[in-house]
Amino acid sequence: MEQEQGKLMELIDQETLNDLMAGTRNGTGRFGPFGGAYVPETLVPVLRELEQAYQQAQRDESFQLELGDLLRDYVGRPSLFYEARRLSEALGGAHIYLKREDLNHTGAHKINNTLGQVLLAKRMGKTRVIAETGAGQHGVATATACALFGLSCVIYMGEEDIRRQRLNVLRMRLLGAEVRAVSLGSRTLKDAINEALRDWVAHVDTFYCFGTAAGPHPFPEMVRDFQAVIGRETRKQALAELGRLPDVLVACVGGGSNAIGFFYPFLDDASVRLIGVEAGGTGDEVGRHAATLGLGSPGVLHGAYSYLLQDGDGQIRPTHSVSAGLDYPGVGPEHSLLKETGRAEYVRIGDEDAVKACQVLSRTEGILPALESAHAVAYALKMAPGLSQDKVIVVNLSGRGDKDVETLAEYLEGGTLHE
Amino acid sequence: MSERLEQVFQGSPRGLTRLVAYVMAGDPSYEMSLRRLRGLAASGVDVLELGVPFSDPMADGPIIQAAGERALAGGMTLSKVLRLVREFRREATTPLLLMSYLNPLLRYGWDQFVLDAVESGVDGLILPDLPWREGQALRERTAERVGNRLTFIPMVAQTSEEEDIQALQDEKRGFVYVLSRNGITGGEAEMPAQVRAYIAKLHEMLSLPRCVGFGIQKREQVEVLAGICEGVIVGSALVDRLAHLDAAGLEGEGLRTKEAEVYTWLAGLKA
Repeated sequence: MEQEQGKLMELIDQETLNDLMAGTRNGTGRFGPFGGAYVPETLVPVLRELEQAYQQAQRDESFQLELGDLLRDYVGRPSLFYEARRLSEALGGAHIYLKREDLNHTGAHKINNTLGQVLLAKRMGKTRVIAETGAGQHGVATATACALFGLSCVIYMGEEDIRRQRLNVLRMRLLGAEVRAVSLGSRTLKDAINEALRDWVAHVDTFYCFGTAAGPHPFPEMVRDFQAVIGRETRKQALAELGRLPDVLVACVGGGSNAIGFFYPFLDDASVRLIGVEAGGTGDEVGRHAATLGLGSPGVLHGAYSYLLQDGDGQIRPTHSVSAGLDYPGVGPEHSLLKETGRAEYVRIGDEDAVKACQVLSRTEGILPALESAHAVAYALKMAPGLSQDKVIVVNLSGRGDKDVETLAEYLEGGTLHE
Repeated sequence: MSERLEQVFQGSPRGLTRLVAYVMAGDPSYEMSLRRLRGLAASGVDVLELGVPFSDPMADGPIIQAAGERALAGGMTLSKVLRLVREFRREATTPLLLMSYLNPLLRYGWDQFVLDAVESGVDGLILPDLPWREGQALRERTAERVGNRLTFIPMVAQTSEEEDIQALQDEKRGFVYVLSRNGITGGEAEMPAQVRAYIAKLHEMLSLPRCVGFGIQKREQVEVLAGICEGVIVGSALVDRLAHLDAAGLEGEGLRTKEAEVYTWLAGLKA
């Protein structure tokens, strides 16, 4: 703790941090100085109720069994631990393995969390579920879980994201969800979260199925726990197939749910390097990236104290990424702590390299990754040749790329798609 | 000095309605905000609430969101908000509260902010994304810096549990901001019996005066509330009326006449 706070002092006034922390210092909901629940007073009891219900569910064997059954029989878990041989050979360095979250039902890791949360909603007697979505994967996963449990479902989605993730909008509607377009602000994930929070504060009996390991307590903890199945399986599979732990884990970070779920079971394994890949967009200038940890500073957004992209007046800055799911100016508080302690490293990959990685993985392995996950793939492509052949990199392939075909075609217009 | 705020609620019986009026700083411009603060003060508003614009106002409805966007587009910053208060304060004694989301204040630097706020003539703070209990240490720290010259205004919601309300029992300064309903700012709040009972009950639990806000826009609502609270807070309805004048492109004397009509409407809300 002392070391991490020492580093923080350079960034913001230490006393303010201490005071902000004091509110929940003795409770849960903090990751070092990060986290908390900075929400309108109306939501305070609502979050408390959620926290208590979640804690009870965690201790309840029947809840865990039901979720476990769903993950196996409905999602198709455990997801595969796949050695990308052709890719590894082509790169000539470390061996690359893929944790195939793209093979989950609905095509991404998001379903791990939404089944957990919607099961919890059901247990709490809720009948209406709301969610925000960026790329649409969380929206689809929430709509899916609601269909499965017969709950009504409203998804908030920015207009810009509706445009670039049209297929997922259609999927949500087919699943019976209502998709509400958000035309405010940057019309992306950030604004969808604002609108979902506004809905929640007006409809406190509604269950807000938050999509990433960010937001007010207890969401960062709860979403991490539901996603930690990724890391637990990876650990087991690596030990079974390799007889040892991997050397490097790589995952993309927008809000950070797939990365934290992947990293969490490895936090105490000091030999395993944890690398989070943020969206470098088209450059380091304001508005051209979404590299919150790499280029941001701490502050309060969407109910938590964490890194965010802000200007000198504390206003949230615009972001850009070719991938809608990473196009977010905040990040989960636990990632902020992992950055401060140095336990995880955070790097960035730009639009162009992510798109290239989509092509490379498609052609060498026959796997089209989501643009989000392609950021992690791209970093592995850069890293592998510099490592010896006995090293193992595991990439969390958090989603499949079908939803991105139109964006890819648009991006590659001019013929490179056919090169 | 927050004494200005105390005086508003002192020495008169419970149940007398004070009027708290909200405007967004910098909407549509610095100069217009200053003029309107003065106009509102002169028209008998008891307490002014000045919004600090923020890019992501999660507790606000469309009207105040739009006001914030106009203010930011016009270059309003926290430093300019404080300058605005200082200029207003030269000739006005109406108590003034800043309503701000946390992040712009944190970015400014908390200690510097509270010193500058007091020096500018801010009397208190309303922080919609800092729950009362989460803010305990920050309030203590503020008191170390500026004594009791900045009053923190607690909010109580209909969802608030008894323990949350009891946490306010020892508060003696300012007032409690009572949310008329669950939700964001704007619209029109209904005042069913259960809401009236909830407001009345706060009287038994707290010694602080009660000001009811969110969705207050009609005289009839205020009449229903008369006797069970000490003040009403009018935000979106006022911001909306002023925004319409700006959107209509009125200027000079024509604008002043219309503004005066808005102030008269506002004063007429007070029972």
